[in-house]
Amino acid sequence: MNNNNKKPSALMALTSAAMALPGVGGKTEAAAPVSEPVLSYHVSHYREADIERKDHLGGARERYEIDTHQLGFAAPLTHAADLKLDLMVESMSGASPWYIQPDADGRPVQAMSGASIKEERYDVQGRFNHFVSKDTVLSYLAGYSDEHDYQAINVGLEIEHNIPVQQLTVSGGIGYSDDELEPTQGTTPVSVVKADKDNLTAFVGVGLIVNERTAVQTNLSVSDQQGFLSDPYKLVFIANQVNPLFADSRPDDRRQWVWLTRLRHFVPAANAAFHADYRYFDDDWDVESHTLELGWYQNIGVSWRFDTALRWYSQTAAYFYAPYFLSARPDGYATSDYRLSPYGALGLRLKLVKKLGPWQLSAELESYSAKDSYSLDSVEVENPGLVEFTTFSLGFDRVF
Amino acid sequence: MRILSLATVIFLLSACSVTRVDPWDRQYLARPEMAWDPDGSSATYRAHVYFSKEASNGGASAGGGGCGCN
Repeated sequence: MNNNNKKPSALMALTSAAMALPGVGGKTEAAAPVSEPVLSYHVSHYREADIERKDHLGGARERYEIDTHQLGFAAPLTHAADLKLDLMVESMSGASPWYIQPDADGRPVQAMSGASIKEERYDVQGRFNHFVSKDTVLSYLAGYSDEHDYQAINVGLEIEHNIPVQQLTVSGGIGYSDDELEPTQGTTPVSVVKADKDNLTAFVGVGLIVNERTAVQTNLSVSDQQGFLSDPYKLVFIANQVNPLFADSRPDDRRQWVWLTRLRHFVPAANAAFHADYRYFDDDWDVESHTLELGWYQNIGVSWRFDTALRWYSQTAAYFYAPYFLSARPDGYATSDYRLSPYGALGLRLKLVKKLGPWQLSAELESYSAKDSYSLDSVEVENPGLVEFTTFSLGFDRVF
Repeated sequence: MRILSLATVIFLLSACSVTRVDPWDRQYLARPEMAWDPDGSSATYRAHVYFSKEASNGGASAGGGGCGCN
Protein backbone atom coordinates (compact mmCIF):
# COMPACT_ATOMS: atom_id res chain seq x y z
CA MET A 1 0.00 0.00 0.00
CA ASN A 2 1.72 3.18 -1.14
CA ASN A 3 -0.73 5.65 0.28
CA ASN A 4 -1.45 5.23 3.97
CA ASN A 5 -4.57 7.33 3.57
CA LYS A 6 -5.99 5.02 0.94
CA LYS A 7 -8.68 2.61 2.15
CA PRO A 8 -7.10 -0.81 2.72
CA SER A 9 -8.65 -3.92 1.28
CA ALA A 10 -11.12 -6.02 3.25
CA LEU A 11 -8.47 -8.73 3.59
CA MET A 12 -6.00 -6.26 5.08
CA ALA A 13 -8.68 -4.96 7.42
CA LEU A 14 -9.40 -8.47 8.68
CA THR A 15 -5.68 -9.18 9.03
CA SER A 16 -5.24 -6.02 11.07
CA ALA A 17 -8.19 -6.96 13.23
CA ALA A 18 -6.78 -10.44 13.80
CA MET A 19 -3.52 -8.88 15.01
CA ALA A 20 -5.25 -6.98 17.80
CA LEU A 21 -3.38 -7.55 21.04
CA PRO A 22 -5.76 -7.83 24.00
CA GLY A 23 -4.35 -6.16 27.04
CA VAL A 24 -1.31 -5.19 25.06
CA GLY A 25 -2.60 -2.64 22.61
CA GLY A 26 -6.13 -2.37 24.03
CA LYS A 27 -7.83 -2.30 20.64
CA THR A 28 -11.14 -0.51 20.25
CA GLU A 29 -12.42 -3.64 18.53
CA ALA A 30 -13.08 -7.09 19.94
CA ALA A 31 -9.98 -8.78 21.35
CA ALA A 32 -8.08 -11.49 19.49
CA PRO A 33 -5.13 -13.69 20.55
CA VAL A 34 -1.60 -12.46 19.94
CA SER A 35 -0.61 -13.85 16.54
CA GLU A 36 3.18 -13.32 16.70
CA PRO A 37 5.68 -12.89 19.55
CA VAL A 38 6.44 -9.27 20.41
CA LEU A 39 9.48 -8.13 22.42
CA SER A 40 9.74 -4.57 23.68
CA TYR A 41 12.29 -2.52 25.58
CA HIS A 42 11.62 0.99 26.81
CA VAL A 43 14.00 3.19 28.77
CA SER A 44 12.88 6.42 30.46
CA HIS A 45 14.49 9.22 32.42
CA TYR A 46 12.34 11.18 34.88
CA ARG A 47 13.60 14.39 36.46
CA GLU A 48 11.87 16.73 38.89
CA ALA A 49 12.76 20.41 38.96
CA ASP A 50 14.63 21.58 42.08
CA ILE A 51 12.45 23.15 44.72
CA GLU A 52 12.51 26.96 44.45
CA ARG A 53 14.70 28.83 46.95
CA LYS A 54 11.79 30.99 48.15
CA ASP A 55 9.87 27.83 49.14
CA HIS A 56 12.85 25.98 50.63
CA LEU A 57 13.35 25.66 54.39
CA GLY A 58 16.16 23.11 54.54
CA GLY A 59 17.52 19.81 53.26
CA ALA A 60 18.55 19.10 49.69
CA ARG A 61 16.97 21.16 46.90
CA GLU A 62 17.51 18.49 44.24
CA ARG A 63 14.41 16.38 43.90
CA TYR A 64 13.89 12.94 42.40
CA GLU A 65 15.56 11.55 39.33
CA ILE A 66 14.44 8.12 38.20
CA ASP A 67 15.76 5.86 35.45
CA THR A 68 13.26 3.23 34.37
CA HIS A 69 13.82 0.15 32.21
CA GLN A 70 10.81 -1.78 30.90
CA LEU A 71 11.08 -5.16 29.22
CA GLY A 72 7.91 -6.65 27.75
CA PHE A 73 7.20 -9.94 26.00
CA ALA A 74 3.93 -11.19 24.51
CA ALA A 75 3.49 -14.48 22.68
CA PRO A 76 0.76 -16.89 21.58
CA LEU A 77 0.58 -20.12 23.58
CA THR A 78 -2.18 -21.90 21.65
CA HIS A 79 -4.72 -20.81 19.06
CA ALA A 80 -6.88 -19.57 21.96
CA ALA A 81 -4.42 -18.36 24.57
CA ASP A 82 -1.56 -15.92 24.91
CA LEU A 83 0.78 -14.70 27.61
CA LYS A 84 2.24 -11.29 28.35
CA LEU A 85 5.05 -10.52 30.79
CA ASP A 86 6.30 -7.08 31.82
CA LEU A 87 9.32 -6.26 33.92
CA MET A 88 9.99 -2.76 35.23
CA VAL A 89 13.22 -1.76 37.00
CA GLU A 90 13.54 1.70 38.53
CA SER A 91 16.63 3.41 39.97
CA MET A 92 15.79 6.46 42.08
CA SER A 93 17.80 9.16 43.81
CA GLY A 94 17.11 12.60 45.22
CA ALA A 95 15.24 14.37 47.98
CA SER A 96 11.51 14.45 48.70
CA PRO A 97 9.26 16.82 50.69
CA TRP A 98 9.45 16.12 54.45
CA TYR A 99 7.36 18.69 56.28
CA ILE A 100 6.08 22.27 55.92
CA GLN A 101 6.22 25.03 58.49
CA PRO A 102 5.32 28.73 58.41
CA ASP A 103 8.01 31.35 57.93
CA ALA A 104 8.03 34.64 59.87
CA ASP A 105 5.15 35.92 57.70
CA GLY A 106 3.09 32.76 58.05
CA ARG A 107 3.88 31.64 54.51
CA PRO A 108 4.41 27.86 54.22
CA VAL A 109 7.95 26.76 53.37
CA GLN A 110 9.10 23.24 52.60
CA ALA A 111 11.67 21.19 54.49
CA MET A 112 13.15 18.48 52.29
CA SER A 113 14.70 15.18 53.24
CA GLY A 114 18.44 14.82 52.76
CA ALA A 115 19.53 13.54 49.37
CA SER A 116 18.85 9.82 49.37
CA ILE A 117 21.21 7.10 48.30
CA LYS A 118 20.23 5.27 45.14
CA GLU A 119 17.23 3.01 45.60
CA GLU A 120 15.83 0.40 43.25
CA ARG A 121 12.43 -1.10 42.58
CA TYR A 122 11.60 -4.24 40.62
CA ASP A 123 8.10 -4.93 39.36
CA VAL A 124 6.98 -7.93 37.31
CA GLN A 125 3.46 -8.33 35.95
CA GLY A 126 1.98 -11.26 34.03
CA ARG A 127 -1.25 -11.63 32.08
CA PHE A 128 -2.61 -14.90 30.70
CA ASN A 129 -5.44 -14.43 28.20
CA HIS A 130 -7.70 -17.42 27.55
CA PHE A 131 -10.21 -17.10 24.69
CA VAL A 132 -12.99 -19.35 25.94
CA SER A 133 -15.02 -18.57 22.80
CA LYS A 134 -14.59 -16.36 19.76
CA ASP A 135 -16.32 -13.54 21.64
CA THR A 136 -15.17 -14.05 25.22
CA VAL A 137 -11.74 -13.74 26.79
CA LEU A 138 -10.79 -14.42 30.39
CA SER A 139 -7.59 -12.79 31.65
CA TYR A 140 -5.67 -13.93 34.72
CA LEU A 141 -3.28 -11.35 36.18
CA ALA A 142 -0.53 -11.64 38.76
CA GLY A 143 2.37 -9.45 39.79
CA TYR A 144 5.03 -8.73 42.38
CA SER A 145 6.80 -5.48 43.27
CA ASP A 146 9.88 -5.27 45.47
CA GLU A 147 11.92 -2.38 46.86
CA HIS A 148 14.04 -2.14 49.96
CA ASP A 149 11.18 -0.87 52.16
CA TYR A 150 8.07 -2.03 50.29
CA GLN A 151 6.76 -5.29 48.82
CA ALA A 152 3.44 -5.82 47.03
CA ILE A 153 1.83 -8.88 45.52
CA ASN A 154 -1.23 -8.58 43.31
CA VAL A 155 -3.66 -10.87 41.50
CA GLY A 156 -6.61 -10.13 39.24
CA LEU A 157 -9.26 -11.61 36.97
CA GLU A 158 -10.81 -9.80 34.01
CA ILE A 159 -13.44 -10.78 31.47
CA GLU A 160 -14.26 -9.22 28.13
CA HIS A 161 -17.24 -10.23 26.02
CA ASN A 162 -18.00 -9.05 22.53
CA ILE A 163 -21.62 -8.70 21.35
CA PRO A 164 -21.20 -8.36 17.56
CA VAL A 165 -24.82 -7.53 16.66
CA GLN A 166 -24.90 -4.55 19.02
CA GLN A 167 -21.24 -3.68 18.28
CA LEU A 168 -20.67 -3.71 22.02
CA THR A 169 -17.85 -5.01 24.16
CA VAL A 170 -18.63 -5.44 27.84
CA SER A 171 -15.84 -5.96 30.33
CA GLY A 172 -15.30 -6.33 34.04
CA GLY A 173 -12.72 -7.40 36.52
CA ILE A 174 -11.58 -7.69 40.09
CA GLY A 175 -8.10 -7.24 41.50
CA TYR A 176 -6.42 -7.52 44.89
CA SER A 177 -3.08 -6.19 46.14
CA ASP A 178 -1.42 -7.09 49.45
CA ASP A 179 1.32 -4.63 50.41
CA GLU A 180 3.89 -4.67 53.21
CA LEU A 181 5.95 -1.67 54.34
CA GLU A 182 9.19 -1.76 56.32
CA PRO A 183 10.35 1.88 56.33
CA THR A 184 14.07 2.36 56.81
CA GLN A 185 15.24 4.53 59.65
CA GLY A 186 17.79 6.90 58.11
CA THR A 187 18.40 10.62 58.22
CA THR A 188 14.61 10.98 58.12
CA PRO A 189 12.93 9.34 61.17
CA VAL A 190 9.98 7.08 60.35
CA SER A 191 6.63 6.75 62.08
CA VAL A 192 6.29 2.97 61.91
CA VAL A 193 8.64 -0.01 61.79
CA LYS A 194 6.41 -2.42 59.88
CA ALA A 195 2.88 -2.13 58.49
CA ASP A 196 0.46 -3.65 55.99
CA LYS A 197 -2.21 -2.42 53.63
CA ASP A 198 -4.36 -4.01 50.98
CA ASN A 199 -6.39 -2.82 48.03
CA LEU A 200 -9.44 -4.43 46.42
CA THR A 201 -10.55 -3.07 43.03
CA ALA A 202 -13.50 -3.94 40.81
CA PHE A 203 -14.56 -2.42 37.50
CA VAL A 204 -17.16 -2.76 34.76
CA GLY A 205 -17.00 -1.21 31.33
CA VAL A 206 -18.74 -1.05 28.00
CA GLY A 207 -17.27 -0.18 24.61
CA LEU A 208 -19.28 0.74 21.54
CA ILE A 209 -18.39 0.98 17.86
CA VAL A 210 -20.33 4.06 16.79
CA ASN A 211 -19.44 4.06 13.12
CA GLU A 212 -16.55 3.12 10.80
CA ARG A 213 -14.34 5.79 12.33
CA THR A 214 -15.53 6.21 15.92
CA ALA A 215 -15.54 4.16 19.11
CA VAL A 216 -16.40 5.11 22.70
CA GLN A 217 -15.87 3.34 26.00
CA THR A 218 -16.99 4.08 29.53
CA ASN A 219 -15.81 2.35 32.72
CA LEU A 220 -16.77 2.55 36.37
CA SER A 221 -14.43 1.26 39.05
CA VAL A 222 -14.41 1.17 42.82
CA SER A 223 -11.43 0.52 45.11
CA ASP A 224 -11.28 -0.18 48.82
CA GLN A 225 -7.97 0.40 50.57
CA GLN A 226 -7.41 -0.74 54.14
CA GLY A 227 -4.45 -0.68 56.51
CA PHE A 228 -1.59 1.75 57.00
CA LEU A 229 -2.29 4.49 54.43
CA SER A 230 -0.12 7.22 56.01
CA ASP A 231 3.29 8.22 54.66
CA PRO A 232 5.84 6.91 57.19
CA TYR A 233 8.51 9.40 56.05
CA LYS A 234 6.47 12.61 56.27
CA LEU A 235 5.75 14.92 59.19
CA VAL A 236 3.22 17.67 59.89
CA PHE A 237 3.75 20.94 61.77
CA ILE A 238 1.23 21.78 64.52
CA ALA A 239 1.93 25.31 65.68
CA ASN A 240 0.51 25.30 69.21
CA GLN A 241 2.50 22.26 70.38
CA VAL A 242 5.76 22.42 72.36
CA ASN A 243 7.35 19.99 69.94
CA PRO A 244 5.46 20.94 66.76
CA LEU A 245 6.46 18.06 64.45
CA PHE A 246 4.18 15.00 64.34
CA ALA A 247 3.88 11.97 62.10
CA ASP A 248 1.68 12.13 59.00
CA SER A 249 -1.56 10.42 60.04
CA ARG A 250 -4.39 9.34 57.73
CA PRO A 251 -7.50 7.19 58.12
CA ASP A 252 -6.87 3.46 57.75
CA ASP A 253 -9.47 2.99 55.06
CA ARG A 254 -10.31 4.74 51.81
CA ARG A 255 -12.96 4.11 49.16
CA GLN A 256 -12.36 5.50 45.68
CA TRP A 257 -14.72 5.77 42.70
CA VAL A 258 -13.45 6.30 39.17
CA TRP A 259 -15.46 6.98 36.04
CA LEU A 260 -13.36 6.86 32.89
CA THR A 261 -14.79 7.66 29.45
CA ARG A 262 -12.78 7.51 26.23
CA LEU A 263 -13.44 8.48 22.64
CA ARG A 264 -11.44 7.48 19.56
CA HIS A 265 -12.17 9.06 16.18
CA PHE A 266 -10.24 8.59 12.96
CA VAL A 267 -10.07 11.49 10.49
CA PRO A 268 -9.32 10.02 7.04
CA ALA A 269 -8.80 13.43 5.42
CA ALA A 270 -5.95 14.14 7.85
CA ASN A 271 -4.84 10.49 8.18
CA ALA A 272 -4.91 11.02 11.93
CA ALA A 273 -6.70 9.81 15.04
CA PHE A 274 -8.26 12.06 17.67
CA HIS A 275 -8.35 10.86 21.30
CA ALA A 276 -10.42 12.32 24.13
CA ASP A 277 -10.26 10.79 27.64
CA TYR A 278 -12.11 12.10 30.66
CA ARG A 279 -11.79 10.67 34.19
CA TYR A 280 -13.82 11.65 37.20
CA PHE A 281 -12.48 10.57 40.60
CA ASP A 282 -14.13 10.81 44.00
CA ASP A 283 -13.21 9.31 47.36
CA ASP A 284 -14.29 9.39 51.00
CA TRP A 285 -11.25 11.51 51.93
CA ASP A 286 -13.05 14.37 50.08
CA VAL A 287 -10.63 14.22 47.17
CA GLU A 288 -12.46 14.91 43.92
CA SER A 289 -10.58 15.20 40.66
CA HIS A 290 -11.05 15.75 36.95
CA THR A 291 -8.61 14.57 34.30
CA LEU A 292 -9.05 15.54 30.66
CA GLU A 293 -6.62 14.36 28.02
CA LEU A 294 -6.85 15.28 24.33
CA GLY A 295 -4.56 13.66 21.78
CA TRP A 296 -3.83 13.92 18.07
CA TYR A 297 -2.03 10.96 16.46
CA GLN A 298 -0.79 12.15 13.09
CA ASN A 299 0.44 9.62 10.50
CA ILE A 300 3.18 10.96 8.24
CA GLY A 301 3.62 8.85 5.11
CA VAL A 302 3.52 5.12 5.62
CA SER A 303 6.03 4.63 8.40
CA TRP A 304 6.11 7.72 10.63
CA ARG A 305 3.68 9.00 13.25
CA PHE A 306 3.75 12.10 15.44
CA ASP A 307 1.60 12.13 18.58
CA THR A 308 0.66 15.22 20.57
CA ALA A 309 -1.34 15.05 23.79
CA LEU A 310 -2.41 17.69 26.28
CA ARG A 311 -3.44 16.60 29.78
CA TRP A 312 -5.20 18.74 32.38
CA TYR A 313 -5.73 17.57 35.94
CA SER A 314 -7.42 19.23 38.92
CA GLN A 315 -8.03 17.90 42.42
CA THR A 316 -9.50 19.07 45.71
CA ALA A 317 -7.78 18.49 49.05
CA ALA A 318 -8.27 15.62 51.49
CA TYR A 319 -10.37 16.75 54.45
CA PHE A 320 -7.46 16.32 56.87
CA TYR A 321 -4.92 18.25 54.74
CA ALA A 322 -3.38 21.62 55.54
CA PRO A 323 0.05 23.05 54.66
CA TYR A 324 0.51 23.36 58.43
CA PHE A 325 -1.85 23.26 61.41
CA LEU A 326 -2.48 25.91 64.06
CA SER A 327 -3.78 23.21 66.40
CA ALA A 328 -4.33 19.46 66.28
CA ARG A 329 -7.46 18.15 64.61
CA PRO A 330 -9.96 16.49 66.98
CA ASP A 331 -9.82 13.23 64.96
CA GLY A 332 -6.01 13.13 65.12
CA TYR A 333 -5.57 12.98 61.34
CA ALA A 334 -3.17 15.37 59.63
CA THR A 335 -1.17 15.52 56.42
CA SER A 336 0.75 18.20 54.53
CA ASP A 337 1.53 15.93 51.58
CA TYR A 338 1.31 17.99 48.37
CA ARG A 339 -0.36 14.98 46.71
CA LEU A 340 -3.37 15.48 48.97
CA SER A 341 -3.40 19.28 48.56
CA PRO A 342 -5.66 21.26 46.22
CA TYR A 343 -3.98 21.98 42.89
CA GLY A 344 -4.14 21.59 39.14
CA ALA A 345 -1.59 20.34 36.63
CA LEU A 346 -0.89 20.67 32.93
CA GLY A 347 1.06 18.16 30.91
CA LEU A 348 2.21 18.18 27.30
CA ARG A 349 3.40 15.02 25.60
CA LEU A 350 5.12 14.68 22.22
CA LYS A 351 6.02 11.38 20.62
CA LEU A 352 7.63 10.32 17.36
CA VAL A 353 7.09 6.76 16.11
CA LYS A 354 8.93 5.09 13.23
CA LYS A 355 8.13 1.67 11.76
CA LEU A 356 11.16 -0.07 10.28
CA GLY A 357 10.46 -3.60 9.04
CA PRO A 358 9.66 -5.71 12.10
CA TRP A 359 10.76 -2.88 14.39
CA GLN A 360 8.85 0.02 15.88
CA LEU A 361 11.05 2.75 17.31
CA SER A 362 9.75 5.64 19.41
CA ALA A 363 10.95 8.72 21.26
CA GLU A 364 8.67 10.48 23.75
CA LEU A 365 8.95 13.69 25.77
CA GLU A 366 6.58 14.87 28.48
CA SER A 367 6.56 18.08 30.48
CA TYR A 368 4.33 18.34 33.59
CA SER A 369 3.74 21.26 35.91
CA ALA A 370 1.49 21.44 38.99
CA LYS A 371 0.26 24.84 40.22
CA ASP A 372 -2.60 26.25 42.24
CA SER A 373 -3.60 28.41 39.26
CA TYR A 374 -4.35 25.31 37.15
CA SER A 375 -6.93 24.16 39.65
CA LEU A 376 -10.62 24.24 38.78
CA ASP A 377 -11.41 25.68 42.21
CA SER A 378 -9.61 28.62 43.76
CA VAL A 379 -6.81 27.59 46.11
CA GLU A 380 -6.25 29.63 49.25
CA VAL A 381 -2.63 28.62 49.89
CA GLU A 382 -0.46 26.74 47.40
CA ASN A 383 1.54 23.82 48.75
CA PRO A 384 5.25 24.68 48.29
CA GLY A 385 6.08 21.06 47.45
CA LEU A 386 4.12 20.89 44.17
CA VAL A 387 6.09 19.12 41.50
CA GLU A 388 7.33 19.93 38.02
CA PHE A 389 8.91 17.17 36.00
CA THR A 390 10.03 16.13 32.54
CA THR A 391 10.33 12.60 31.20
CA PHE A 392 12.12 11.35 28.13
CA SER A 393 11.63 7.83 26.82
CA LEU A 394 12.98 5.67 24.01
CA GLY A 395 11.11 2.58 22.87
CA PHE A 396 12.23 -0.43 20.82
CA ASP A 397 9.52 -2.94 19.86
CA ARG A 398 10.05 -5.93 17.58
CA VAL A 399 7.60 -8.43 16.12
CA PHE A 400 9.04 -11.90 15.42
CA MET B 1 -18.22 19.92 39.39
CA ARG B 2 -20.47 16.94 38.91
CA ILE B 3 -22.38 18.94 36.29
CA LEU B 4 -19.11 19.51 34.43
CA SER B 5 -18.38 15.79 34.59
CA LEU B 6 -21.79 14.94 33.26
CA ALA B 7 -21.55 17.54 30.50
CA THR B 8 -18.18 16.21 29.39
CA VAL B 9 -19.39 12.63 29.29
CA ILE B 10 -22.52 13.64 27.41
CA PHE B 11 -20.29 15.44 24.91
CA LEU B 12 -18.12 12.38 24.42
CA LEU B 13 -21.15 10.16 24.02
CA SER B 14 -22.97 12.59 21.75
CA ALA B 15 -21.46 10.80 18.78
CA CYS B 16 -23.56 7.80 19.69
CA SER B 17 -25.80 7.76 16.66
CA VAL B 18 -24.75 4.20 16.00
CA THR B 19 -24.48 2.93 12.44
CA ARG B 20 -23.97 -0.65 11.34
CA VAL B 21 -20.26 -1.42 10.76
CA ASP B 22 -19.46 -4.77 9.17
CA PRO B 23 -16.18 -6.47 10.16
CA TRP B 24 -14.67 -5.74 6.75
CA ASP B 25 -15.38 -2.03 7.25
CA ARG B 26 -13.33 -1.72 10.44
CA GLN B 27 -9.98 -0.89 8.90
CA TYR B 28 -9.83 2.49 10.61
CA LEU B 29 -10.84 1.07 13.98
CA ALA B 30 -8.13 -1.60 13.65
CA ARG B 31 -5.36 0.94 13.20
CA PRO B 32 -2.82 0.97 16.05
CA GLU B 33 -3.30 4.68 16.78
CA MET B 34 -7.02 4.01 17.39
CA ALA B 35 -6.35 1.69 20.35
CA TRP B 36 -7.45 2.80 23.82
CA ASP B 37 -3.74 2.74 24.71
CA PRO B 38 -1.71 2.73 21.49
CA ASP B 39 1.54 1.98 23.36
CA GLY B 40 1.06 -0.34 26.34
CA SER B 41 4.54 0.18 27.82
CA SER B 42 4.25 3.95 27.59
CA ALA B 43 0.74 3.91 29.11
CA THR B 44 1.93 1.71 31.99
CA TYR B 45 4.85 4.03 32.67
CA ARG B 46 2.74 7.20 32.59
CA ALA B 47 0.07 5.66 34.85
CA HIS B 48 2.81 4.76 37.34
CA VAL B 49 4.22 8.30 37.31
CA TYR B 50 0.79 9.92 37.81
CA PHE B 51 -0.03 7.39 40.53
CA SER B 52 3.06 8.48 42.45
CA LYS B 53 2.40 12.25 42.07
CA GLU B 54 -1.39 12.65 42.27
CA ALA B 55 -4.17 11.62 44.67
CA SER B 56 -6.20 9.94 41.92
CA ASN B 57 -5.59 6.75 40.03
CA GLY B 58 -7.41 3.87 38.42
CA GLY B 59 -9.69 3.37 35.46
CA ALA B 60 -10.28 0.32 33.33
CA SER B 61 -8.10 -2.39 34.80
CA ALA B 62 -7.91 -4.73 37.77
CA GLY B 63 -4.14 -5.17 37.47
CA GLY B 64 -1.18 -3.72 39.34
CA GLY B 65 -0.13 -3.45 42.94
CA GLY B 66 1.02 -0.68 45.24
CA CYS B 67 4.48 0.79 45.56
CA GLY B 68 6.44 2.83 48.08
CA CYS B 69 6.11 5.85 45.81
CA ASN B 70 2.62 6.60 47.11
